[in-house]
Amino acid sequence: MKTHIYHFGVLLIILATGTLMFFYTQGDRTLQFVIGIVTALAYVGWGCIHHALQKDLHPKVVVEYVLMAAIAVVVLATLLL
Amino acid sequence: MGQFLRHVFLPHHTNNHRPKALHEDALFAYVLLFAVLNLGIRVMYRQFPQVLGYATDIHVEQLLSLTNTKREASGLPTLTINSQLSQAAAKKAQDMFSNGYWAHMSPNGRSPWDFIVESGYRYSVAGENLAKNFSNSQGVVDAWMASPTHRDNILKSNYRDIGFAVVNGVLNGEETTLVVQMFGSTGQVALLPKPGPIVKEAQASVPLPTPIPVIEKAQQPVIVSQEGSAMVQSEATTGLAALLSGRFMNVVKNPLFNIPSVTRDIGFAFIGILMGILAIDSWIITRKHIVRASGHSIAHLLFLGALLVAFTAIQRGTLL
Repeated sequence: MKTHIYHFGVLLIILATGTLMFFYTQGDRTLQFVIGIVTALAYVGWGCIHHALQKDLHPKVVVEYVLMAAIAVVVLATLLL
Repeated sequence: MGQFLRHVFLPHHTNNHRPKALHEDALFAYVLLFAVLNLGIRVMYRQFPQVLGYATDIHVEQLLSLTNTKREASGLPTLTINSQLSQAAAKKAQDMFSNGYWAHMSPNGRSPWDFIVESGYRYSVAGENLAKNFSNSQGVVDAWMASPTHRDNILKSNYRDIGFAVVNGVLNGEETTLVVQMFGSTGQVALLPKPGPIVKEAQASVPLPTPIPVIEKAQQPVIVSQEGSAMVQSEATTGLAALLSGRFMNVVKNPLFNIPSVTRDIGFAFIGILMGILAIDSWIITRKHIVRASGHSIAHLLFLGALLVAFTAIQRGTLL
């Protein structure tokens, strides 16, 4: 449980950093999109590492994180039109 | 019907304890759907901009009125529209479109002051604010006031005159609405210009203007009253009236569907629904102690929640 909290703490830091940088670059849509992609990739990385450490990393899980990140990127790309 | 909804939205043994809406094939379908939507919007915008486009409603009179309201609220004298400054603003906007740049200084080294001098305005102090892709006049002035450097320009007590240009065109392959706001004050002695929102580093590189000779014609500008109702025009500026009354005074576009509104509504609704399904899934899985090979719904919720917060930082308008 303690490990879980630590892992989710790292996730919160990743997401908070991405969100803050997104706000910081307000007005520059290209840079915002790049930050969105980087944050999404970091999320996939977090998911893989977290599940690997939990010893329940399965290809299905990786695909799920990749698809969730892809959803975020395409929705972001649509809103940044 | 109930069984179908349960199968799609709730973890159940019929869907291997994972809502069908969260299965990999469903998630992949969402990605494709948004990719198609994205492409469709681009095509529709190119082919039918009057149906799906960017709503814009920016008028020079409104910009002047809003700017003067801010000055009055700070106890400063209102500014008077000056045709020469407006001409300089129009030429600056045209230059940005022609040379494909978005900056105070042009790629070939022309400063805002060069445009002002060429227009015949004999300034003792001058400044420039730029904005692009805002949807209305209020949004432009609000954004300028929210930016310390642009706000300083608007609330500078030295200024007496102001000029605007609102121009629509294609900048670096993207349809763009530019707003150029130029401030100035005439005087007997030419002083250093105050470039306003140009960053300090850029200020240092702005060449000092040479003393500007007095040009008689420049002393008889087109004057629009502060209410924007009366215009006194001199012979020297007859050509300007046509210039300023035409394509530089306002940009109004009213497409049937406004792209930023449509995409924002769809984006928020979709991510909101997805978060709702994940929240219910997470709650049921935790309550029933179901073990399954899948990602953490809580992690997805946090990720999508951050995305929703980020959405609020998306704005089309940019200042310089």
